[in-house]
Amino acid sequence: MKKFLVLLIVSFLIFNLQAQQNPSKDHSKLKLDCKTCHVCDVPTKDDPCLVLCPRERITTVYQKAEETSELIVIDQLKDRYGPVYFSHRLHAQMSNMSGGCENCHHFNTSGPILKCNSCHEPNRKREDVRLPDLKGAYHRQCMDCHREWSHETGCNSCHELKKNIKDTKQENSAKKYVGKTHPVVLEPTHITYQTNSDKGKLVTFYHDDHTKKFGLNCISCHKQESCTKCHDVTKKSDSSKKIVSTKKTFEAQHKNCINCHSKNESCNNCHSNKILEPFDHAKKTGWALNKFHINLSCSKCHGVKIPYKKVDSSCSSCHGSWNNENFKHSKTGLQLDETHSDLSCEDCHIDKNYSAKPSCDGCHEGYVYPKQKPGKSVRK
Amino acid sequence: MSHESVNPVPIKHKYFTPGVIALAIVAVNGLVFLMGRFFFGLGAVTNLNNQYPWGLWIGVDVAAGVALAAGGFTTAALGHVMHREEYHAIVRPALLTAMLGYTFVAIGVFVDIGRWYFIWHPLLMWNGNSALFEVGICVMIYMTVLYIEFLPIFTERFIGKVNLPGFLSILNKPADKVLRILDKGLSKTMFIFIIAGVVLSTLHQSSLGTLMVIAGPKMHPLWQTPILPLLFLLSAVAVGFPMVIFESLIASRSLKLKPEMHILSRLGSMIAPLLGIYLAFKLGDMFIRKTFVYLGEFNTASIMFTIELLFGVIIPLRMFLSPKVLKSRPLLFTASALVVFGVLLNRINNFIVAYNPPYSTSSYFPSFGEISVTLGFVALLVLAYRFIVLNFPVISLPTKPTAPKTKFMIRGEEK
Amino acid sequence: MPDKSRRDFLKKTAAIGAGITALSSPNAKAGPENILSPDRMGVLVDTTVCVGCRNCEWACKDAHGLPAGNLETYEDRKILETKRRPDHTALTVVNEYSHGKNSNLPVDVKVQCMHCDHPACVSACIVGAFSKHENGTVTWDSDMCIGCRYCMAACPFQIPAFEYDKALHPMIMKCDFCFDRTKEGKLPACVSICPVEALTYGTRTELVKIARDRIKRNPDRYVNHVFGEYEVGGTSWLYLASKDFVELDFPMLGKNPAPGVSESIQHGIFAYFVPPVSLYALLGGIMWITKRRKELEEEGKI
Repeated sequence: MKKFLVLLIVSFLIFNLQAQQNPSKDHSKLKLDCKTCHVCDVPTKDDPCLVLCPRERITTVYQKAEETSELIVIDQLKDRYGPVYFSHRLHAQMSNMSGGCENCHHFNTSGPILKCNSCHEPNRKREDVRLPDLKGAYHRQCMDCHREWSHETGCNSCHELKKNIKDTKQENSAKKYVGKTHPVVLEPTHITYQTNSDKGKLVTFYHDDHTKKFGLNCISCHKQESCTKCHDVTKKSDSSKKIVSTKKTFEAQHKNCINCHSKNESCNNCHSNKILEPFDHAKKTGWALNKFHINLSCSKCHGVKIPYKKVDSSCSSCHGSWNNENFKHSKTGLQLDETHSDLSCEDCHIDKNYSAKPSCDGCHEGYVYPKQKPGKSVRK
Repeated sequence: MSHESVNPVPIKHKYFTPGVIALAIVAVNGLVFLMGRFFFGLGAVTNLNNQYPWGLWIGVDVAAGVALAAGGFTTAALGHVMHREEYHAIVRPALLTAMLGYTFVAIGVFVDIGRWYFIWHPLLMWNGNSALFEVGICVMIYMTVLYIEFLPIFTERFIGKVNLPGFLSILNKPADKVLRILDKGLSKTMFIFIIAGVVLSTLHQSSLGTLMVIAGPKMHPLWQTPILPLLFLLSAVAVGFPMVIFESLIASRSLKLKPEMHILSRLGSMIAPLLGIYLAFKLGDMFIRKTFVYLGEFNTASIMFTIELLFGVIIPLRMFLSPKVLKSRPLLFTASALVVFGVLLNRINNFIVAYNPPYSTSSYFPSFGEISVTLGFVALLVLAYRFIVLNFPVISLPTKPTAPKTKFMIRGEEK
Repeated sequence: MPDKSRRDFLKKTAAIGAGITALSSPNAKAGPENILSPDRMGVLVDTTVCVGCRNCEWACKDAHGLPAGNLETYEDRKILETKRRPDHTALTVVNEYSHGKNSNLPVDVKVQCMHCDHPACVSACIVGAFSKHENGTVTWDSDMCIGCRYCMAACPFQIPAFEYDKALHPMIMKCDFCFDRTKEGKLPACVSICPVEALTYGTRTELVKIARDRIKRNPDRYVNHVFGEYEVGGTSWLYLASKDFVELDFPMLGKNPAPGVSESIQHGIFAYFVPPVSLYALLGGIMWITKRRKELEEEGKI
């Protein structure tokens, strides 16, 4: 029994030790370039040759902003000032468009969220000064945005002098943030860019098409947006109808587009000398989306791979398994009565053209759909 | 041309004239502002600030003062080292100018430094890397040398004539004895001091040029060059004789004496080559460093540089090459005055105009107080000069053939 | 007689020469402390991190016994609209420059003594009142200074300031890298207070490495230039910036130490006092020859 216990403890220790050395067993399987963290070509256990802090998206932290804790009290370094009440949830919502969680939690390979002081030393006078100390790390996270936001760098905007703090006040400052959320981000319908491309000066970007129809997240394009992009702190009215002129380089300007739009795509798909219409499936492909298809995401039919593969307009290209036996006509909102349910599809839908009006001429002279229906309407 | 013409005597002339009174007023005005500097600080009187730490007092009182007192060592070199006795008549006036010049340089430094009561510090605290330390030490030693060189004039004036007032008259005899011993000792060792004077002058005249080298890019490239010390030395050598001529002609006019044109003309004939060498180096430096491009820019620096070179060097150089100029008193005076002006302007340019600090918000122009003090010092110098030539045997009267022996020549063999 | 005189003359010349040489030897050794230690400390100022809160200005005044006022008054950002220089009331100041791309994110630059590796002030000072210490600090000694302000003319960064309003005992004021604090093992006051640690205190060698590393990893964030790495032979304070340093009012200086040229001229003129002594000997020789020729002429005449 004793032996077994020792064995248990030893094996537990070994396991623990290994777990410590190897916080994520399969971090090599993460979608990461090895060079993000390792300087040398072949990192070993003894010499992992780690980059100090890659500060890249190697974090596995992901929580919806709404699910995070509402308030965090930062009191690690209180000396002259009292603790700082940090409205975490509100800030998490803010960073939806500016890098997400890893904007602040910038170094988390996997596992639990690391505390700032696990890397940043609380003492400013220290041996290794490659990373900022804890005070510097905290303030950099806050002040980088705050001074852009409010142009204020005074301590009092976040800190309360210790001598001024009373218990009630402490509660008040905590209460201040309860239930606060970031206002809904207003999306523009479209943005027109003025470019100097010889393929066409104007690019009309339908923002709502991309978010609503094509299902892109904010973060897929907006990586490090500053709050001031939407919140105009300089109070300059910037109407969205204006044509935005771009000064970015070719690469920078196309960076977000090229993820989906293939390089081989014709420039004129986006570039034109006039403002283009929003995306219209019928015009673009000659196949109008009916009410059954209009709400589907593109990938449902075209696959996830980008650029989308072309799809045949016949139903069978997607609904290949449908036939007379297993197709329930009631799905279309019309339940066929008994006399019609045994007919084959082509009897009414001439030439298998399902988008055209069904014909009754084959059996009934003078009958016209939808005046005369081969069944009764049902709700889907 | 030998001993006969050298006959320095105290000049008999009244001290006060309307001109002297005007100078006295200028001097008093300067002293008033000087009081302001000592009671309320440099900021109260000067336009100096953190951008422009050095101004008129350093540029003119000190740098130009040292340069214009160069007549002392150049004539000493000519008269004693080269042993050209025909110039002995102008050695004493030049020596007096140098002595007074350096005295006022020292006073100028005393006034300009923030902690005048620490002016003795460089004697104990040495920094061999500092050009200013070099200048300071050399100027201090050279001034002492100048006073020693002047001592024989003092002894000559008083030997046999010591007449102390009241009960002090019992000291008349011992004082006379001391003077005689001093005179004898000095005449045996004077050559040491004369050579030392020339060496020290060469050193600090050039080190004065090194001063601004460290300012590097803060100085306008028209003036900033590693050969600044050489240019300073050459210009000091070139301005020595013109300064002697300038001062001699003014003194003779003011004291109603016949100017020693034969000596001054010969002196003048030596100026052209000296100025020529200076000009050659200055132009050569300009072409090697290709700084002439800055002359194309029409600004203060290019204008001042052109004035300095054209009126201060080229025109007088051409004038000194003409025999007509050398024989004519007004033309000789004009040419000499132009050289003096040229070197004065060069020092002002080097220390003030060329100095352009990277973070200057406004340019420097001397305040009324600074100008007053500088003019006051010049007035005081002239007044002191006048007093000394009226009371001591400095200026030689060429007409009288019976002359006492000159005092500061090598006379080790004489018994 | 001429023989005797010549011997006499030579003896005296030799004595003078020896005297001057004797004087010169302590001169060569004397002078201010000027140590260039490999372990000298420095500060890396990352202007892309600095938020311009001016807390360093307050801390500096507070640490040096200058009237500092209330820290809260430093929140006023109006003062940043004008460019300021360190002076006798503030040994360090922060200036603000436009970012260029983002008007909401200005660039703030702290200005103070750079603590050169080869300081012009140390070389220039007439009495050697400036010293470069082992830890990189360049200090000024009030007990020695005569107030000549040559240091101000010499400094390539235009840093030393003078108390022009004082009639008695005016001071040269400049950042002293908190010499007294660092001696006690504390950090310089500005480094200690900086909320974002835009000021990193460490050995200069390490800081250069860190600076280079930051540029390498964020080539978009920084211009590829560590100001102070090579300027005037290197400075203890180093700067990183997002835009060209000229636009941030840094002086464009070469890699040569500021006192280099003037020191080599000085040492050339005074190379172990050989040139002055030889000049002395030469002049003495000329003097003796011309004198003797004159005497021979006169003897011949007689």
